[in-house]
Amino acid sequence: MDILEQLEQLRAHESRVAMATLIAARGGSPRPLGAKLFVGEGGRLLGSVSIGGCVDARVVEHGQRLLRENKAERVTVTVDDAEAVELGLACGAEFDLLIEPIGLAHTDPAITVYETAVKMSRSGQTAYVITRLPAGGLPVRTVSTRPFEGSGANVFVERIAAADTLVLVGASDVGAALARQARTLGLRVVVVDGRERYATRERFATADELLVGMPSDLVRPYLVAGAFLVLAAHEYKYELPILREALRSPVRFVGMLAGRKRADGVRQLLRDEGLTEEELGRLHSPIGLDIGGREPEEIALSIAAQLIAVREGKPIAHRG
Amino acid sequence: MTLPYGALVLEHFRRPRNQRALEHPSASHEGFNPLCGDRVRIELDVDQGAIRAAAFTANACAICTASASLLTERVTGMPLDTAARISDGEALAALESEVPAARVACALLPLTALREALREALRAPAPAARASAP
Repeated sequence: MDILEQLEQLRAHESRVAMATLIAARGGSPRPLGAKLFVGEGGRLLGSVSIGGCVDARVVEHGQRLLRENKAERVTVTVDDAEAVELGLACGAEFDLLIEPIGLAHTDPAITVYETAVKMSRSGQTAYVITRLPAGGLPVRTVSTRPFEGSGANVFVERIAAADTLVLVGASDVGAALARQARTLGLRVVVVDGRERYATRERFATADELLVGMPSDLVRPYLVAGAFLVLAAHEYKYELPILREALRSPVRFVGMLAGRKRADGVRQLLRDEGLTEEELGRLHSPIGLDIGGREPEEIALSIAAQLIAVREGKPIAHRG
Repeated sequence: MTLPYGALVLEHFRRPRNQRALEHPSASHEGFNPLCGDRVRIELDVDQGAIRAAAFTANACAICTASASLLTERVTGMPLDTAARISDGEALAALESEVPAARVACALLPLTALREALREALRAPAPAARASAP
């Protein structure tokens, strides 16, 4: 969920929130810099700046206070609970957060800046939100298409990159489950099928794009570096024409839903057509980490886990 | 690899003829089977009432792909009105295979798309007529 989607969710219940942004961490942080936790005036929480527990709880306290005082503050939270330290259960990390009150109306300066940045990222551009932190005043933000090249303790830069795209061919039940899960993981989801009865908005409510037509034609514009391609149709009629191009394209990941025997059959057909072993070696099939599930949601989860492993460069991404 | 069809179908599925996109087709039509999801697009390059080139793009099963391959081979060089008279029976016979009833729609999808493309070609004014129009 990107920040605009978070804000939209908050608007249903809140008019003002404290926005806490993680701007520095010492001693390790499970969340990336820029992570946000919103504390609503009505008490609702959304997002997190840590993996939960003591840090977020203290940020919530600061957020409630700063909402009442209507001011912004740079806050340092140290995980120094004496009992946890004594037991060896404290991580010992220290976090700097910018916590500020914002109105959820579209006219709030912070909202305006993030709306602009996210719209840029959704159109494929990388945006940089540059936040200056004046002493005693509210933060001042600008959006740029170029990284901030200056320096200073009172400047924080957030890179809002274009979301990675998952091109999902096959509007099957596994496809529907994967589309839902991938969207929550921050991927832009494009669903492709040749069958109108399967590729419906009802089944793919959260997909960013839903395309029906000749699948190999529809997929072609998305065969670019950085994209993930998952073939979940279990139909050779779609798989073969797409794989002929995809395995020779710069696309980041090509996976196909199939058992080992069927996957080998597809590889052999493509080999006979002249694809090289190197090209065929790019095909992940069977797809998904071997977690043993059989239901669509479980299979989708195993595929989603593999996509994360690929994105993070983990060896487990390559199933033996 | 074995298929429940004859050698000709296997040959045209594995090495389809005319499987490409024409750069500037005079007429084209994409047919699809909503049940099985087969899709085939037939493109024609028409010159002086005859088919100068026929090509196809298919995301389709073996019998449909082979049928499109054989059909485009057959109609290349053929006058439009002759191509329009190709019957279902002729298209099926060209496959030299027993086509199960459940797959007849797949085998005939390219012919259905060809007929629509021919209608489009017959409706379009000839290039010479276009050139002389004010």
